[in-house]
Amino acid sequence: MKLKYILAAFTVATAFVSCSNDDAASNVSGTGTLNVEFDNAFAGDDLLLNSQTYITSQNEVLKVSTVKYIVSNIVLTKDDGTTVTYPKSNSYFIVNEADEATHVLELANIPAGNYTKIKFGIGVDQEQFNAGASGQGDFLALAQSEDMLWSWSAGYKFVAFEGTFTSATVADATPFMLHTGQTGSSYNYTEVTLNLPTQALVRQNITPQIHIVTDVSKFIDGTNKINLSANNSMGMGAMIMGGEALPLITANLNAAFTVDHVHND
Amino acid sequence: MPLLFSCEGSDDSYHDVPLAVIQPGNFPQLTYDVSQNPPTQSGFELGRKLFYDGRLSSDGLVSCAFCHIQENAFTHHGHTVSHGVDNLVGTRNSPAIQNMGFLSTYMWDGVTTHLDLQPLIPLTSDVEMNGDLSAILAMMKGDARYKKLFSQAFPGEAITMENMLKALSQFMVMMVSSNSKFDMYRRGEGGATLTPDEQEGYTLFNQKCATCHATDLMTDNSFRNNGLAVNPQVNDVGRYKVTEAAADYYKFRVPSLRNVALTAPYMHDGRFGSLESVLNHYSSGIVNSPTLDSLLSNNGTLGIPLSPHEKEVIIAFLNTLTDTDFITNTSFSYHD
Repeated sequence: MKLKYILAAFTVATAFVSCSNDDAASNVSGTGTLNVEFDNAFAGDDLLLNSQTYITSQNEVLKVSTVKYIVSNIVLTKDDGTTVTYPKSNSYFIVNEADEATHVLELANIPAGNYTKIKFGIGVDQEQFNAGASGQGDFLALAQSEDMLWSWSAGYKFVAFEGTFTSATVADATPFMLHTGQTGSSYNYTEVTLNLPTQALVRQNITPQIHIVTDVSKFIDGTNKINLSANNSMGMGAMIMGGEALPLITANLNAAFTVDHVHND
Repeated sequence: MPLLFSCEGSDDSYHDVPLAVIQPGNFPQLTYDVSQNPPTQSGFELGRKLFYDGRLSSDGLVSCAFCHIQENAFTHHGHTVSHGVDNLVGTRNSPAIQNMGFLSTYMWDGVTTHLDLQPLIPLTSDVEMNGDLSAILAMMKGDARYKKLFSQAFPGEAITMENMLKALSQFMVMMVSSNSKFDMYRRGEGGATLTPDEQEGYTLFNQKCATCHATDLMTDNSFRNNGLAVNPQVNDVGRYKVTEAAADYYKFRVPSLRNVALTAPYMHDGRFGSLESVLNHYSSGIVNSPTLDSLLSNNGTLGIPLSPHEKEVIIAFLNTLTDTDFITNTSFSYHD
């Protein structure tokens, strides 16, 4: 008798479960919103500005005052292999650690689907830059207000990473400023593709959030090591805004971003 | 229903007039892509209004026109370098704004290659206009004339930085200077002829100057070190700053010589006050350096040999490059 009841209960339960599966399958239509969060960290630690010190593999001790980067050209891949490119003119963002409101990019009108990959650029791509004002909207004004515009060249800073450091050879806290962007010999834009560990299920009534962790230590302490002390000319600070260091830092960016997890509400 | 719409004002029935960019027969091809930003009467007027508007600067006074004055072919007469907001000075001479759509790089070091983006450089420089782009946007959005011009030039679109820059480009692209005596002579128009001195000067110019100052635009758009003594107080490394290539130390863009009689003083830092000084430099003032242009060093002789008479007639020729139409054309002037 008990078994019959258990079986009956099980059947009913199964029926309910299969009902909701049918619902999910039949609601993959229309569009929804996808949120992409950029969470800045330093190696395995949370990034706290102007307070916590962080040490690199080169034994340089950093205090970070500024982390900003341009995120652009977002392309999402579905489980069937097709891609969705976010409209280019809306696809330029500035993530600024000091401004919490910029940490989550809200992407609207995303076709409902199960997403498995996200690709984005760091910086402004050369095609857009060569088009002059066309397609810029107000991004130039945003860039200026975020101090991500190089006034002398009417160009963009792609990554700004600033603070102070000390080391075995630099006893007093000395400024460092790292700005990437176009230089004479290289453009320095790069695109990063990340697999999502679980799918982001965009639906009309489900807004997933992709939580990306940006390990800023990798900017200078990635595959390529940038030694701030060696760039500290005349003790006036490590000002890295041009030259051969920029392509090296740009190459490091590919390993700086990982998807920590995906929430599907 | 139709009555209601027509009562709302003339905007719905306004038809913007497309403008054809002048492509003079004796000029190289236009480099600016007008398909991305076709000039129209409203866009041109909007660009003109912006050009003369001091509110783009942080002190409300320094408009583009402050350093780019029409009578001087849009240069800053008598100024080696210009003073911007708070009387701050830069390090380079105001170049002429003319025939911009035919150039391939802008600024003395060619740092930007798109005309749309060039205005950002003086606009955001803290020693020139020191403009805040967000504040400029707010100013335009609150100004009735700007609102009207933007809606006519870019119908259905918001007032944006993009459209502001496009309007400035539309204005500049229409500023073609191609009706000097020299142009009329070259195109066989209006019975224009050169005097014997001018003709002799033109022949000499072609022999001695036209490799760099090439085509009827008088520039080959290249960067060269023309033997100027380096001013140690400034040490302006020119093109090197852009390319970071050692071969580009102290190289600057070859400017167009059109309207050259009006655009004194000369060179990237305005150090020469007269065309005589310029020619004296080329004949006997060249300073050698590792990146000195090879054209200015011939078997150990520096410079371009020029006799006093030759200098005189070359200057007579250079005076034929003055385009009175251009500097008096009221469509490029300030309008209320």
